[in-house]
Amino acid sequence: MRLGWRWAALKNGLMDEAAYRTEFFIQILSSAAVPAAVQIVLWYALFKVGGNTEVAGWGYQELIHYTLVSTLFTQIRGGDHDFELQEMIRTGGLSNYLLRPASVIQFVYLRGVGAKLLIASMGLVLGSLVLAWLGMAPTRMPGAMLLAVLGNIIHYQISAALATTAFLWEEAYSVLMVKNMIVALLSGETIPLNMFPESLQWLWKATPFYLFVFGPTQYALGNWSNDEFFYQLGVAGIWIVAGWLMIRVSWGFGMKRYLSLGG
Amino acid sequence: MKGLSRYVQIFLVQLKNNWVREAVYRTNFLAMMASDLVWIAVEFTLFTVIYANVPTLAGWTKPQIFFFLGVFFSSDALFTTFFQRNFWNFSDLVNKGELDILLTKPAHPIFLSLTRWVNLTAAFNIVLGVAIAVRYADEAGFAGGLHWLLFVFWLLVGLLTAVLLRFAFCIWIFWTERGFALSRLYYQFFAFATKPDTLYPSAIRYAILTAFPFAFIGSVPARALLHGLEPREYTLIATVLTSFFILDAFLWKRGLKRYQSVSS
Repeated sequence: MRLGWRWAALKNGLMDEAAYRTEFFIQILSSAAVPAAVQIVLWYALFKVGGNTEVAGWGYQELIHYTLVSTLFTQIRGGDHDFELQEMIRTGGLSNYLLRPASVIQFVYLRGVGAKLLIASMGLVLGSLVLAWLGMAPTRMPGAMLLAVLGNIIHYQISAALATTAFLWEEAYSVLMVKNMIVALLSGETIPLNMFPESLQWLWKATPFYLFVFGPTQYALGNWSNDEFFYQLGVAGIWIVAGWLMIRVSWGFGMKRYLSLGG
Repeated sequence: MKGLSRYVQIFLVQLKNNWVREAVYRTNFLAMMASDLVWIAVEFTLFTVIYANVPTLAGWTKPQIFFFLGVFFSSDALFTTFFQRNFWNFSDLVNKGELDILLTKPAHPIFLSLTRWVNLTAAFNIVLGVAIAVRYADEAGFAGGLHWLLFVFWLLVGLLTAVLLRFAFCIWIFWTERGFALSRLYYQFFAFATKPDTLYPSAIRYAILTAFPFAFIGSVPARALLHGLEPREYTLIATVLTSFFILDAFLWKRGLKRYQSVSS
């Protein structure tokens, strides 16, 4: 596999982010600080205002730790490049890419993932410091970050497959928005997933979304053993293969319908 | 009166154009509706999970929280229907110099720029939000009857708040290169509106009742409808909204002075 154009796409994406540094940092700060504050407020209302000492097996301090660490992984999940794919299909801009000797799906991902890798590097350092400060093992952070990055890949694969609905309909914007909303709840960035009542546990276990935020956070906080972590790495691997197949099938089907003027 | 009827006519024409556009993209119309339903389902699931573990949340019972969600959804849907797209496109008007043409029209440019796009799909959410509020009104302890007129009043207060706040966030496009970060910041702060204000610690609560009055969108209206407000709270709402109106008007005038058409 030649890395030439892939490396160039990654580098271009990073340079693009670097060109708007202020906006990049405002985005990180706002997307990290505000949801974390809202989550902490929820714990405050449950424990300090409501007077509870334990909720679904979680104490106040544990939930604060969960919020602090999960906020790091929330910054790595997702990205907006799936919307770029659907826009290309909708407007016919995809045609320009079909002429080039590069996979458009890989190209869009690599160009957009630079920012996430930058955040992952910063998160690795910051997360290790946070874990050390909380009296936990910072050595777990690289593994947790690896799982989060694999989660990012799975997220993109699912999104790229969903973006092909733009071949069938006018656009896939709403489909991708629906996916983002479901991911926000079932990835564990809003609340720890084991807070779900027993009857609803299947909701998050049936999708790979828990590998994006909940899984890395559980491992980083020491709530998952090393065995569990390696098992989940295997699960992530299976989802990546499944994602690759989904892309092959959905794009193969979609390209047959593509009219170059908007699908 | 003649001026007002002219504005109504302009708005009706804009509405008609938007209806035609939505009718062309029917599948998207349905997909957007599905997207809104999922958003509501996600919020309901979140509170269902929380209430599966505790009986009350900072004094709010489950039906009261769902009533609050009904008020919040309908208030937000009003904003989404009539204003959201216009605010997203506002930066383009300034950056690409498209504001020029609006400045030459015989109607106020703010009116023209904020009423051009109507998201008729979101109108479905207004109905859905009201239906949710009606469903949980009795269990939540809402008096009902003529108080439903107050419900309409508070929805309009929520809408006015969202418009004034969003304007205060997007007007900086006259001074900045790209408006995306500030728009995104608005939606990050908007998360504070999705929970009742009494849940928040005093510092945050103070902020969302004054400098960033996101609590006026759904939380304060829901509290007003369920329990009523103290006189000082009515004064606070009037003062904060008036201050935002004055600030927005001031920034608009200063922004226009800075506006340099395409090169802006």
